[in-house]
Amino acid sequence: MDAANFPRQGGGDGGYYNYPVVRRPVWTWEVPAYFWLGGMAAGAYVTAALAQNFGSADDRRVAAGGYYVAAAALVPCAPLLIADLGRPDRFYHMLRIFKPLSPMNLGAWTLTALTPIAFARAASHAASTGLLRGPLGTLARLVPTRLAELAGVVLGLTLAGYSGVLLAATNIPLWAKSKLLGGLFMASGLASGSAAVTLQAAWRGAPDGSLHRLAMVESAASAGEMAILTGYLLQSGKTARPLTSGRLRAPFWLGAVGAGTLLPLLVHRMAGRRQGRPLRILSSAAALCTIAGSLALRWTIFEAGKVSSEDQAASFELSSE
Amino acid sequence: MIDGYKRLMNIEKPPTPKTAKGFFTDTSLCIGCKACEVACKQWNQLPADGFAMTGNSYDNTGTLGATTWRHVQFIEQAKANGQGQEQRWLMMSDVCKHCANAACLEACPTGALVRTEYGTVYVQQDICNGCGFCVAACPFGVIDRTPKHGHFEAGTAHKCTLCYDRLKDDMTPACAKSCPTASIQFGDVEELRTRARRRLGELQARGESKARLYGMPEGREAEEVGPLHAFFLLLDEPERYNLPAVPRLPRKTMAQRYGWSAAVGVGFALVGALVFGGRR
Repeated sequence: MDAANFPRQGGGDGGYYNYPVVRRPVWTWEVPAYFWLGGMAAGAYVTAALAQNFGSADDRRVAAGGYYVAAAALVPCAPLLIADLGRPDRFYHMLRIFKPLSPMNLGAWTLTALTPIAFARAASHAASTGLLRGPLGTLARLVPTRLAELAGVVLGLTLAGYSGVLLAATNIPLWAKSKLLGGLFMASGLASGSAAVTLQAAWRGAPDGSLHRLAMVESAASAGEMAILTGYLLQSGKTARPLTSGRLRAPFWLGAVGAGTLLPLLVHRMAGRRQGRPLRILSSAAALCTIAGSLALRWTIFEAGKVSSEDQAASFELSSE
Repeated sequence: MIDGYKRLMNIEKPPTPKTAKGFFTDTSLCIGCKACEVACKQWNQLPADGFAMTGNSYDNTGTLGATTWRHVQFIEQAKANGQGQEQRWLMMSDVCKHCANAACLEACPTGALVRTEYGTVYVQQDICNGCGFCVAACPFGVIDRTPKHGHFEAGTAHKCTLCYDRLKDDMTPACAKSCPTASIQFGDVEELRTRARRRLGELQARGESKARLYGMPEGREAEEVGPLHAFFLLLDEPERYNLPAVPRLPRKTMAQRYGWSAAVGVGFALVGALVFGGRR
C-alpha cells in the first residue's frame, strides 16, 4: 500500500494551517497618499503641457495654472515617501544606485528629476504673467519652456505610470494577479490631474470653450479608467474579493467607482450644453469628485492588498497559473 | 568625484566569487526538536517573539519573520487504513531559500540586498533604509522589516544570512551545526544536489511515492526564481508546507505591466492633442 497517500488536512485550501504564504506589506497611509498626489501632479503637468502646445490662446492661459497645481502637489510627495521608510534618515540611499529594474528606485529618480522641472516651469509661467518679478523672475525667464514641457511630460507619465507597476511587481495576489494595475493607476492619475486643472480653471473664471475642452480630456481619462478597471476586476476574479465584497466594498464601489468615475462622467455630460456660471459650478463639482475618487481608488486597492496578502488560497492560485 | 560619491554611499567592490554554499533540508529526517530555531536565534542574537500558543500542533512560532530565520513546521496528517486511523507528522525546518533569481534582491532600490561571494542573498544592515519593497516582493514570505521603534535593528529588513559571518571563518551555519539528525545539511550547492537526488531515490524505493525535491534546477518551482540555494526534500505536495508550486518573480511580467501603463499614457496624450488642437 502507498505509504505516502495522506489526504489534505482541514483548512480548506490544503496549505499549512491558515498561515499566509506571503508577508503583509509594511507600508502605511503615506504610500497611497503619495501615489494620489504624484499621479495628480503628473496628470496636471501633462494636461497643462498639452494645452500649451496644441490649444488656443485661451486654453494656454487657463491650463498653465496646471503647472502651479503640479508644483504644489509635488511638495508633499518626497516627505510622504521618506516618512514611510523604516529608516527615514537614510532616504538618500534611494539615489545610491541607478537601478530602473526596481520600480521603487525608478520612482525615486523620477520624482527627484520631475520636482525641479515642475517648479522651474511654474516659475517661468509666473514670470511671464508678471507674478514673479525681480531677479528671480529674470532667472525664471531663462527656463527653456519647450524642453521643460517635453522632459516634464516624459517624467510625469513615468511618475503616474510606475506606481501601479510597483504594487504589481510584488507577490501580493490582489496587486499582482492582473497585468492592468499600472494602467489603472496611470488613467486615474491623469483623470485627477486634468480634473485639478479643470477645477482651478473654473475657479479662475475660464472661458466656456476651454472648460468644455478640459472636461472632454478629463472624461476621456475617466472613461479609460472605467474600461481598464473592468478589465482589472475581470482578470483578478476571486482574488479581488477583499476589494469588491469585503470591508472596503463601500469606499470602493461608491467612492472610487461611483463618485470617482461614473458621477463625473455624468455631470460633465450634463455641463456639456451649459455656459457661464452653471458650467463652472458643474465642472468644479465633477472635478472634485474625480480627485476624491482617485484617492479612494488608491486607498482601497492599497488596503485590500493587505487583506489579500493573508489569503492563502489566492497566493496558491497566483503561483499555479 | 565619483570616488567621493562611492565613499559617501558605501559602494564597495564585490569580493571574488567562491563556491556556492547552501542548505539541503531533508524533511524526512526532521524530528521537530527546534534546535535550529534556538541556535539561529542565539548565534544571530535575535530577540524572542513572545510565548503565544497557536494551537497548531507543536508549532508556536507560526511563520518566518524579521527575527525568526528558521521555523519548524508540524503538519499532522491522518487517514483510514482499514484498522482505524493512521497518523503521521511531517516536520520541516523552513528557511530563506536564497533564490538564484531573488525577488527581494531585484526589488531592493538601495542595493542593500546583495548576492554574496557564496552565492547567498544578504541584507547589508548599514545600507537598508527600510522601504519595505522586498517584504511584498518575496514569494515565500521570508523577509520582513523590524518595527520602526523596536529595540532590535529598528526599521530595516531582515532574514537569514546563511550565517555569513560564520562562512567567513569556514564555519558551518548555526542551524546546520545544531541539527541532531542531519536534516539540515550545509555544503557546496552542487554536492548537496547530488546527495539530495540519491536520498530521493532511496525514499522512493521504500514506497514514499509522494517524496520530491523542491528547489532543484529541473523543478517547476525554479521556472522563475531559479534554483534555490536552500532547497528541500518534501514528503508531500509543496502547498502542504505552504510553499508555492511556482514561486513568481515579479520581473518576468514587469514589461507587460509597464506596457499597459504606457499605452494609457500615450492614448491620453493623443486625445489631449486632438481635443485641444481640434478647437474651432
